Amino acid sequence: MPPLRWFARRLLLAALVVFGAANAVFFAFRLLPGDPVRSVLGNTNPTPELVARVRHDLALDEPLAVQYGRFMRGLITGDLGESFQLQQPVGEVIGGQLWPTVQLAVAALLLALLVSVTLAVLTAHRPKVRRIASSLELVAVSTPAFWTGLLLLALLSFRLRWFPAMGGSGAAAVVLPAVTLAAGLVGAFTQVLREELERALEQPFVLTARARGGGETAIRLRHALRHGLIPLITLSGWAVGALFGGAVVVETVFSRQGLGQVTAAAVAGRDLPVVTGVVLVSAVAFALINLAVDVLYRLVDPRIDERSIG
Amino acid sequence: MRTRTHRTLVRRALVAALALACVATGCGAGTGRAGGRDGRIVYAVDTQPDCLDPQISPYDVTAALGRGVFDSLVAMDARGRVRPWLATSWQISGDGRAYTFHLRDGVRFHDGTAFDATAVKATLDHTVAPETKSQYAAGLISMYENATVVDARTVRIRLSRPYTPLLQVLSTATFGIQSPTALRANRGRTCLKPVGSGPFVFAGWTRNRRIDLDRNPDYAWGPPDAANRGPAHVAGVTVEFIPEAASRFGALSSGQVDLASAVPPSHVGRLRQAHGFRLMRATQPGAPYTLMLNINRAPLDDPRVRRALQRSVRFDALVKALYSGAYERSWSALTPATGDYARATEGGWPYDPEEAARLLDAAGWTGRDDAGYRTRKGVRLTVHWPYMNSLMRDQRALLGQGIQAEAKRAGIELRFTALEPGAYLQKAGGRDADILAFSWNRAEPDILRTFFDSAQTGDKGGVNAFGVADPQLDGWLREASATRDPARRAALYAKAQTRVNDQAYALPVYAPATLLGVADRVRGVTFDVQAYPRFHDARLED
Repeated sequence: MPPLRWFARRLLLAALVVFGAANAVFFAFRLLPGDPVRSVLGNTNPTPELVARVRHDLALDEPLAVQYGRFMRGLITGDLGESFQLQQPVGEVIGGQLWPTVQLAVAALLLALLVSVTLAVLTAHRPKVRRIASSLELVAVSTPAFWTGLLLLALLSFRLRWFPAMGGSGAAAVVLPAVTLAAGLVGAFTQVLREELERALEQPFVLTARARGGGETAIRLRHALRHGLIPLITLSGWAVGALFGGAVVVETVFSRQGLGQVTAAAVAGRDLPVVTGVVLVSAVAFALINLAVDVLYRLVDPRIDERSIG
Repeated sequence: MRTRTHRTLVRRALVAALALACVATGCGAGTGRAGGRDGRIVYAVDTQPDCLDPQISPYDVTAALGRGVFDSLVAMDARGRVRPWLATSWQISGDGRAYTFHLRDGVRFHDGTAFDATAVKATLDHTVAPETKSQYAAGLISMYENATVVDARTVRIRLSRPYTPLLQVLSTATFGIQSPTALRANRGRTCLKPVGSGPFVFAGWTRNRRIDLDRNPDYAWGPPDAANRGPAHVAGVTVEFIPEAASRFGALSSGQVDLASAVPPSHVGRLRQAHGFRLMRATQPGAPYTLMLNINRAPLDDPRVRRALQRSVRFDALVKALYSGAYERSWSALTPATGDYARATEGGWPYDPEEAARLLDAAGWTGRDDAGYRTRKGVRLTVHWPYMNSLMRDQRALLGQGIQAEAKRAGIELRFTALEPGAYLQKAGGRDADILAFSWNRAEPDILRTFFDSAQTGDKGGVNAFGVADPQLDGWLREASATRDPARRAALYAKAQTRVNDQAYALPVYAPATLLGVADRVRGVTFDVQAYPRFHDARLED
């Protein structure tokens, strides 16, 4: 298939994914038990007049078809409407919180990659260190982010005061949350990388390189690592999901601004416009990352046909 | 041996990872110290307000933060007496339905608007306007008919019926007077732009992070019980939102914040012993954390079963075990910090398992099933108590499990189940439960009417969750809200509190208290009658 046509098809698919996600939110919102208006009003005892008024203001008293039509119009025109609870347009609510979460996710991802590559290169085909590293990875994966975060805070913020306990824009403020979030990824990354590395180290070209008298570390970095990167690219889609899920917890423990906290509050308060906005942003991010991964594949290894990719 | 290598490795890995992170992001300086905060107080709170318009939001945090931004017509001092504030004097008509307030001269709102009768009328009309969608304030003044601007310095408020607690209502931050100019200009956006005349000016809200309040340099009309009637001593208050209790406490103990709200009761002892910190504690007025019982469906429609439950739980021991003395157990449907609290209720319904057993036998619950629960005609004695996790502050979920275990020993099955918000509100609204529990902060015994008057059911904006309809109680509570004789009020409220216990309409459990962790360098923080901290007299000593 010619690259341009392939690319167009992928874009269309991505758009479909986003559209599907938005629809899922719209209908899930109406299938949940309870009255959304009561949830929007929170834990108060609203009078029937107030409930009716809010229902009307949120246009939730119209037939479903009309609501759906308005929802679709908003999607197509990019107008996400106004939050049910915050007296602010959704674009503003999300726009103000997007950057801190992206910053946190990117920092965590880079950190996880750095640590994983280091660990994998140092431990591949070295049974003793490997065993120790494996148990470490297991600990990192199985410790809840909440706990990791509190331990880091207790030691490095409350006791040593190297890092602030709250806040969220300075470089120093991103370190502990990023470490906490990265801890959950390192285990998976390292294991995949190490396996690929070990497979690569058994290839004939490595033998040739050794015969030429290269240093072991240099060989591992120069020759074997390239082969290990492909499965890691595959994992990045999963990583994005893990990062976003982890962000909710991490942002709470570290009192950071971000989409995680916004989402948690919006889901609890049935703030449909905000939830829709968050889902759309995540779906777009997800689709774009998947697309980028596939493009990378084709660049790294032109033999790969997209049909063989799940 | 092996674990030791592990630990060293963990530490090394951690240090390495941190070093890498530092390289990647360029570690800045460490934490801000008090001296570097330009004379501002940094106050960590556990919840972020949903909205800063005190007439819209029902939440404590809005009122607590609003207290610095808004002034009220009258003030209530620590002894519960109403004192002049933005109103210098007032008259109440003979029928108790008209209140005429004479207003202070020279007061200005933060936007430069002069305070006058128009502002009072605008604030009250804004409260009751349907488009405001007030979730609490409008319910407090359901008897409000209108306000008339007699002249710039005089405003007359008319009520549909006499209502003695009106002055208490008007003294709260919930009825902080807003700038009429701002109310007009920010229509539909008042949550985000509160403009009052208080000692602190709202300077900005970074969502999920902080709210900034700056000193109002022109302030000269503080309430009569303030040591300082002029501008605040501190340059401002930075309110940081730190939802996680351990993070909040750590930020306080490491000097990153000056005060922290909602200290967990388990940390209170540690704070009292810590060098350089102190605990400030104030019992909240109003209704304690109370288990409302469904008297309109089996099994709790039988007063004997309600009394059996009342006598089967060792509330003393539970409250002590969970809160280590930070909160006191309750005997009455009012907390001890509320006016007309009836001390006579104390000790009136002690733990008495024999009495509970006798009551259950008399009610016909004489059988026992395999699990040890009592049965009647083969049916188990089961009581349903749904709850919503997000509302369970103060370890209330743990408390519920404790009560559940106690009930089990008496043979009562208490189904204490967590529900998601939609399902919970559906059950609570439809009275599809046997127990619902909540507390309510209000410095006025009239809160009893909100809980137990037959006209104050949930669909009317009250919290009489299960429709208690007791003519005697109705009569006492309505008379108490209309009479102006303080002795008569006290007598009526005492009767009402005793009645609620005798009939076991509800089980009061503990009186919530504001627990504030304060660094010693902060001086002069006080509590108002609602147990909200006030920063207007506060100083920072470095």
